[in-house]
Amino acid sequence: MRRQLLSVLAMLVMALMVRVARADNAFDYCLLCHGSNANGNYAIRAPKLSGMEPWYLARQLENFAAGVRGSTSADASGHEMRPVGLRLRDSGELEAAVKFIGTLKSARPAATIDGDAARGRQHYAACAACHGAKGEGNASLQSPALAARSDWYLVTQLANYKNGLRGTDERDTYGAQMRAVSNALPDEQAIRDVVAYINTLR
Amino acid sequence: MKKTLSRRDFLHAAGALGGSTAVYRAAMGIGLMPVAARAARPVLTANGASKKVLILGAGISGLTAAYELQRKGYEVQVLEASFRAGGRNLTLRGGDRIDETGYPQVCQFDRDPDLFFNAGPARIPGHHQQLLEYCKELDVPLAPFINDNRNAWVQDDAMFGGKPIRAREYLNDTRGFVAELMAKSMKPDAMSAPMTSDDWERVREYLRHFGELDPQFRYIGTSRAGLASHDYTVPDVLKAPLSPSELLKSRFMLIMSFGETDDQAAMMMEPVGGMDRIVAGFLRKVGHLVQLESQVQKIQVLERGVEVTYRHQGAYQKVRADYVLNCIPMHLLAGIEHNFPKSYSAGFTAVPRGKLFKIGLQMKERFWEREGIFGGISWTMQDIQQIWYPAHGIHRAKGVVLAAYTFDPNAGEKFARLSPPERIKLAVEQGSKIHPDYGQYVENGVTIAWHQMNHMLGCAAQWEEALFKQWFKTLQAPVGGHYLIGDQVSYHPGWQEGAIASAHHAIADIDQRVGAGKSQMVRS
Repeated sequence: MRRQLLSVLAMLVMALMVRVARADNAFDYCLLCHGSNANGNYAIRAPKLSGMEPWYLARQLENFAAGVRGSTSADASGHEMRPVGLRLRDSGELEAAVKFIGTLKSARPAATIDGDAARGRQHYAACAACHGAKGEGNASLQSPALAARSDWYLVTQLANYKNGLRGTDERDTYGAQMRAVSNALPDEQAIRDVVAYINTLR
Repeated sequence: MKKTLSRRDFLHAAGALGGSTAVYRAAMGIGLMPVAARAARPVLTANGASKKVLILGAGISGLTAAYELQRKGYEVQVLEASFRAGGRNLTLRGGDRIDETGYPQVCQFDRDPDLFFNAGPARIPGHHQQLLEYCKELDVPLAPFINDNRNAWVQDDAMFGGKPIRAREYLNDTRGFVAELMAKSMKPDAMSAPMTSDDWERVREYLRHFGELDPQFRYIGTSRAGLASHDYTVPDVLKAPLSPSELLKSRFMLIMSFGETDDQAAMMMEPVGGMDRIVAGFLRKVGHLVQLESQVQKIQVLERGVEVTYRHQGAYQKVRADYVLNCIPMHLLAGIEHNFPKSYSAGFTAVPRGKLFKIGLQMKERFWEREGIFGGISWTMQDIQQIWYPAHGIHRAKGVVLAAYTFDPNAGEKFARLSPPERIKLAVEQGSKIHPDYGQYVENGVTIAWHQMNHMLGCAAQWEEALFKQWFKTLQAPVGGHYLIGDQVSYHPGWQEGAIASAHHAIADIDQRVGAGKSQMVRS
């Protein structure tokens, strides 16, 4: 009897150890796509996550899970994130994932976008009100930082807002704001210019 | 809408199906390129006893390199990101985990030696000599694999109102038609000068046998297209030829010669019990050197050797080696911290990743056998493109069919966007155009979107001629002690033989360097 109890106990401990080991590894798949320290991987269009505000990450993961983001197939990368968001939310791991990203070492990504930063600066005036003059973000307005993000990703997202691939879901109030603002950027070139300016922000 | 097929179109179509390699092979077939000599397994002469080699990735290339190097005394360590070894060599059986980002699945097949699904490579041609040698050496028994079955179906909404016909009907009725057309329209005086009248007669005779024409050079049907009845107590009755104008509406003509191409023609083989028997064979030799769940985070090429940082059980670990053989898919390597020269690393993002997609369905009855099909492939011009029937386990109760295998990245993306049950639903809808009661036999299924599979996020690298020219040599050459390997660094991406070739190329180079007493070679 006692021996049985012991072996059950041993099995329990082992099961627990396995679980702990898994939990340690649980978010490595974030790094698979988003790269070392989640600093982004352009080859598969996975943006830099490290350094993002935890509240912003959480909201976007919730948006993916709820289908607020990534529900249209025209937004291919967003669509790929949708099941990831769902899985994190449904397994109750969303917060832990956000926390994990917070432990990573953020590095400033190399600039990949050509644009006219001087012209972009004029467009940026509209952005600065919420995202700050240095692109540092403003938590009280729920506006994330823009400086030191994957620049190609900023271009994609501005285009997505403009083209109605993001910010059209009625639950997405912040997205709706961004959609309105993005419409003030007349064309693709203006988007690239403003991102080129954001690249200069320190 | 008039559309003619030029040679260029054909090459493009072949490429869409078989990857750029098919283009290359097809071009060789029509005399555009010289045929290369076959490579042999390198003979390693140097003693590796004082050298450490770190291999990143336990796919076929990594395992090949590990196996060869440890035999020469090298200290070998293999880091594998996944919970399993094998890379894209993946055989699924009941209870197996399918590690797709976002959509993890568990294979629900019955536990039975015949109920498995080769989700990655699934066939080996007879000229893939390196792989076959390893199969022999590692005691991996092989069985014939049936690629080409004239009794399987061809279905295209564009012809016969979408009604499927037997492959033999398509192939032989079009051939008969073309042969008759040529025999009747060719004129001896239109032939160019060196053709004698004897030659002319021989060409006509060739055409008669090519299309099985009657003595008047008419095509009135052929037993090659199948008989109307198989009641052998009465005389044979030929089926009437199908309408050539209907047959020629189908784009099946682009892939009708699939089973005749270099890599797909009989005789093909497969390991008995699943392609991963090859992985198991390698692991019997070098499994103790492989550490799973170790995801590389950083690669630093040093003055001497290479330092790699990886994550294992949530902690960062560092390891140094004289040489690193790296088969991490280039599109993932692009996101890993490194100190490679830009002229090298820019290549990682240059070659697009493949998006091949497969579905395997467990069928409660082998209904295809009642249709006279005991293996091979039915073709459809729908997204699923192919249905494969197992040639093992004939006459048993159940079987696993391949219910979709698409090479077209758009179709691959379309399936990948759906949830696994939706993917199966779509495959069943499309398969029902070939087998009307298809859905009622389905018990469960697995879906593999290679560009969403964890630690892969892509299938065969999509090289093209211009990319080969620009990047291949650069990516194949070492940077210090770092070598890129895998089928991605071969002219045969998507084939295990290509993976092996890349490993052989790298270890031969290392052997030379170690033999010459240099552990470093500065990249010019």
